[in-house]
Amino acid sequence: MLVKRLQPMISHARRSYVGLMFQVMGRALQAISEVDEKTRNETRALPEGFLFEMQVMPNGPALIVEHTGDGLLYYHGDSAPRPVDLSIQFKHLTHAFLVLSFQEKTSVAFANDRMLVDGDVSLAVRMTRVLNRLESFILPKLVAQRAVKEYPANLHLPEKLMSAARIYLKVATNLVETVRA
Amino acid sequence: MTNKYYEFFCPVKVIAGKAALEHIPYELTGLAAKRPMIVTDKGVRAAGLLDPVIAACEESGLEIVAIYDDVPPDSSTTVVRDIAKVYRKEKCDSIIAVGGGSAIDTGKAVNILVSEGGDDIAKYSGAGILKHPLKPFFVVPTTAGTGSEVTSVAIISDEKKGVKLPFSSSFLLPNAAIIDPRMTLTLPPHITAATAMDAMTHATEAFTCMAKNPLSDAYATAAIKKVSHSLLQVMDNPKDEDGRLELAQASTMAGIAFSNSMVGLVHSLGHATGAICHLPHGLCMSLYLPYVLEFNLESIREPLGELLLYLEGPEVYSATPAARRAEASISAIRKLRDALYKRCELPRTLKETGKVLESQLDAIAEMALDDGSIMFNPREVTLEDARTVLRKAWA
Repeated sequence: MLVKRLQPMISHARRSYVGLMFQVMGRALQAISEVDEKTRNETRALPEGFLFEMQVMPNGPALIVEHTGDGLLYYHGDSAPRPVDLSIQFKHLTHAFLVLSFQEKTSVAFANDRMLVDGDVSLAVRMTRVLNRLESFILPKLVAQRAVKEYPANLHLPEKLMSAARIYLKVATNLVETVRA
Repeated sequence: MTNKYYEFFCPVKVIAGKAALEHIPYELTGLAAKRPMIVTDKGVRAAGLLDPVIAACEESGLEIVAIYDDVPPDSSTTVVRDIAKVYRKEKCDSIIAVGGGSAIDTGKAVNILVSEGGDDIAKYSGAGILKHPLKPFFVVPTTAGTGSEVTSVAIISDEKKGVKLPFSSSFLLPNAAIIDPRMTLTLPPHITAATAMDAMTHATEAFTCMAKNPLSDAYATAAIKKVSHSLLQVMDNPKDEDGRLELAQASTMAGIAFSNSMVGLVHSLGHATGAICHLPHGLCMSLYLPYVLEFNLESIREPLGELLLYLEGPEVYSATPAARRAEASISAIRKLRDALYKRCELPRTLKETGKVLESQLDAIAEMALDDGSIMFNPREVTLEDARTVLRKAWA
């Protein structure tokens, strides 16, 4: 009975959490493309002006980033300026929550059919590598191990801390600028 | 409770065994189809494999209205459009694809055009674009390996743009797959070997990769048992109808398994090698399988160990300590490859193919890293990992 009464609140909280995580991830994607050469090596292969979206079906929270050239990503928020080129869509808010709360790895979510890819699959694989690298940088190792298939063996603490600090600083700056605007 | 979740779907009616072709007229009538068109290639026709299909239909008073027998090995949008034109001109109402992967994929693509309308197949490329059931579609495989008769995907080349268009929809699945041993009886030894190893790889990867599930496991293990038991028998006695049927069923079962649980790094490397070096798919699968299993070993020790039962039988399985079964499974696959090399010189290394240059390995590794199947490999694969596997597979 109590669970039934709390259900709308739980659902609202999950939606807010997923929306917030998308905002952080979108800004962090932009930031990592500015601070990490290996990420830029991955994203340089994307066509210039390429729009990438992660979204919860049917009209749930979303994040959209654009490749603006030379591997740099730009976070557009939750609405795209034109039709996106590649979309990774969670079938349900619950599935997005499982992944974004690190209860289910991204790779496991793919294997469990929680997500659909609309667009070039090879570019989706590339963007997944970028997301994995981002999570390995910005999450504590114990949490990152729950998010990625394999925590990179060659990612050592000094590099992780330095990169994470620069990414978080850029995310915070971007958030403040957005609020001011 | 764990987060374990899976999906399994296979609505294809499998019609298998002696005189299976003779069921086609009855099955078509059941779908109100009276004017079927056959889509095939020149090799199938030259081998006389269409004759029993046509005879089976004519004996039941069902006329094959049109036959298109010019499907190339890599089918294209132009071919699909041409076949659709013939279909419409002859007022056909159903399609029977007779052949290997290319003829079957072409049949699927033609079915999209004749059901949805228009001449531009590229419009329907992608996942989940189709929203309605298509025309009655039957598949008669003439190789025992691809499993295309039970998969919901098709790949067609767009010649003008120089890209391969993927089509994915459950509506692409045929209404029926007809598995008749007569259709694979004349397969040459090296194709028999390569396609059977393709099925073996589908089943092994389905059983060891990330999207494995209890239902696909059942199909995968049954397929491995059939290939292990019958492949060398058929290689020694190509006219063995029972053995041929076992391999054909194994291919279909492996197809059902991998289309529901996906595949991994063997396929990523195989797709890249096929694209760069133009090696046949089945050969690539046979070539990479043991090296990838060794790479994945510590992530798949338990399921790979279980496969020993189906690869070598209960005596060897029970005599092998549990801790050694995974390695013994890899050895069994290597032993099978050696036996095939002895019988038909099916290459076991990239060097043995004579068609791959060592300088191409880096390009293969880079392309493999972007292949969709790599997502389902149980271990994360870096560029250096892919290079290492390729170097081991070189010689």
